[in-house]
Amino acid sequence: MRNVPDPSPTTAVSSGPFVRDGFALRHVKAIFGLSLLPCLAMAVFNTGLQANRAIAAGATPLSDGRSVLLNALGVSPDPASTLNCVLFGMLYVGPLVFVCAAGAGVVETINSRLRQRRPSATWPIFGLLLALTLPPTTPLWQAFLATCFGILFGQEIFGGPGMSFLNPVLLGRAFLFFAYPAGMSGDAPWIAASFEKVDAFSGATPLASVMLGQESLSHTAWWSALIGTIPGSIGETSFVACVIGAIVLLGSGVASWRIVAGVVLGTFAAVAFFNQVGVDGNAMYALPFHWHIVTGSWAFATVFLATDASSAPFSDGGRWVYGVGIGLLAIVIRVANPVYAEGMMLAILFMNVFAPLINFVTVELHLRYRRGYRAV
Amino acid sequence: MFGEYAGLLTEAIFTQNLALSYYLGMCSFLAISRRVETALGMGLAVTFVLTVTCPLNHLLYHNLLAKGALAWIPGAAEVDLSFLMLLFLIGTIAATVQIVELTIEKVSPKLYAALGIFLPLIAVNCAILGGSLFTIERDYTLAESTVFGFGSGVGFAVAIVALAAIREQLRYSDVPAALRGLGISFIVVGLMSFGFLALSGM
Repeated sequence: MRNVPDPSPTTAVSSGPFVRDGFALRHVKAIFGLSLLPCLAMAVFNTGLQANRAIAAGATPLSDGRSVLLNALGVSPDPASTLNCVLFGMLYVGPLVFVCAAGAGVVETINSRLRQRRPSATWPIFGLLLALTLPPTTPLWQAFLATCFGILFGQEIFGGPGMSFLNPVLLGRAFLFFAYPAGMSGDAPWIAASFEKVDAFSGATPLASVMLGQESLSHTAWWSALIGTIPGSIGETSFVACVIGAIVLLGSGVASWRIVAGVVLGTFAAVAFFNQVGVDGNAMYALPFHWHIVTGSWAFATVFLATDASSAPFSDGGRWVYGVGIGLLAIVIRVANPVYAEGMMLAILFMNVFAPLINFVTVELHLRYRRGYRAV
Repeated sequence: MFGEYAGLLTEAIFTQNLALSYYLGMCSFLAISRRVETALGMGLAVTFVLTVTCPLNHLLYHNLLAKGALAWIPGAAEVDLSFLMLLFLIGTIAATVQIVELTIEKVSPKLYAALGIFLPLIAVNCAILGGSLFTIERDYTLAESTVFGFGSGVGFAVAIVALAAIREQLRYSDVPAALRGLGISFIVVGLMSFGFLALSGM
């Protein structure tokens, strides 16, 4: 009876979490990186567009090497020209992505050398994802610092990707949010231009401007928020790009559709509740569902951050609970918390803390169910 | 009225969590969070003690220790016994803890053994004393201090149970040898309070 092939692997494993079917971590991360491409393209275009629009409205270009380079190349800040916007955007998005990826690569390489583990080589995706959550005005040293903090304390210290209980990218972003709040809250313009000489230009993100009472909710504004031509963190302005990413991720099974569905459900419930309650003079309470999902980082965080497999619960039921919790909490923070305009990332981080507890409860319930079953 | 208490309750549980915002009661928080069941027992014990001692200490302070509380005794209107405050608060707490300890020993010897020295040590747990001091410092009414005590206890219980679940799951992680045990727990607590920052300012 020895002609049946032994299904167990013949080589010993040395690193990383392992997935069935030879669909290994590097494949998961490759698909993940692929799904980020529409967001990256939109980030490059929109960063340039926003800056060029602001400059056309009277703001001055930031006085750093980049504007000198653009001048030397003869590229004028013209918002109507796609090529000029893309060139401008590349000079801001490119360095951010590069610095984040470099930070992640350095930390992972040093760490794997010290601990004599094989490096997981997921750091380019890590850097890309983190860079896309940052505003274009982030100083490069801050981006570097956030990456190093996130990957070291959110991932490497637990033994690499898949071993941590919270999302390391979010940890890096949250670190920046709390350590350098001045540039990160969304009240100040997230546009790569200088506004010192302009008084009347509102460069606040749509969420922040609704919160500050500068309401600008027109039909055309909603369409531009859907497509993504609004100020914001570089990768997260475009709802459409995120939906394309979602199709890739959900279609390939890399992300759990239950989490995404749960977030949508939770958001819908919370928005319906706040719309019903309503508070006079607070526009956030009245903000409808179709606005909530196109503004801020809702779409980006739902698709790319909430679905991170290692920081979400592993059971199907637990994923529903986790998703709904994120949706509810994100809207509660957006609407009821006067300090933060955006609550999506913080909500995910908060639910990350409770994901192991959700796992524990599901396992416990399952065991109880099985025991009862056997007794009968 | 009702909304105010609900606000105070959520504040005590989430935004001003004793363990994750004030870092009070860290010794038992870290020591009893290896397993979820015992963590839950510890959380319930702390909740009970806080719910009882906060209003009790409130009554004691305002009817005995505060300046002018003894005005009903002729000639004692100016007496200010608040320098005895800490002594009285700890006395109340110790008595309550004693009751809890006797009850747990009788009802669940297993939990009693698991909690070990940390059960009697609730008496000097800074989270409990902190809860009582907060009620006095913030001038809560009797009803408010009951709600606050209960909320703080639930907040501590939620935090310690979540930490225990994380630590149970960390068995599957590959933590550097030097950080295993207490070291990684300190880091985890720091990361958890990052998550709880989401609700600060509400």
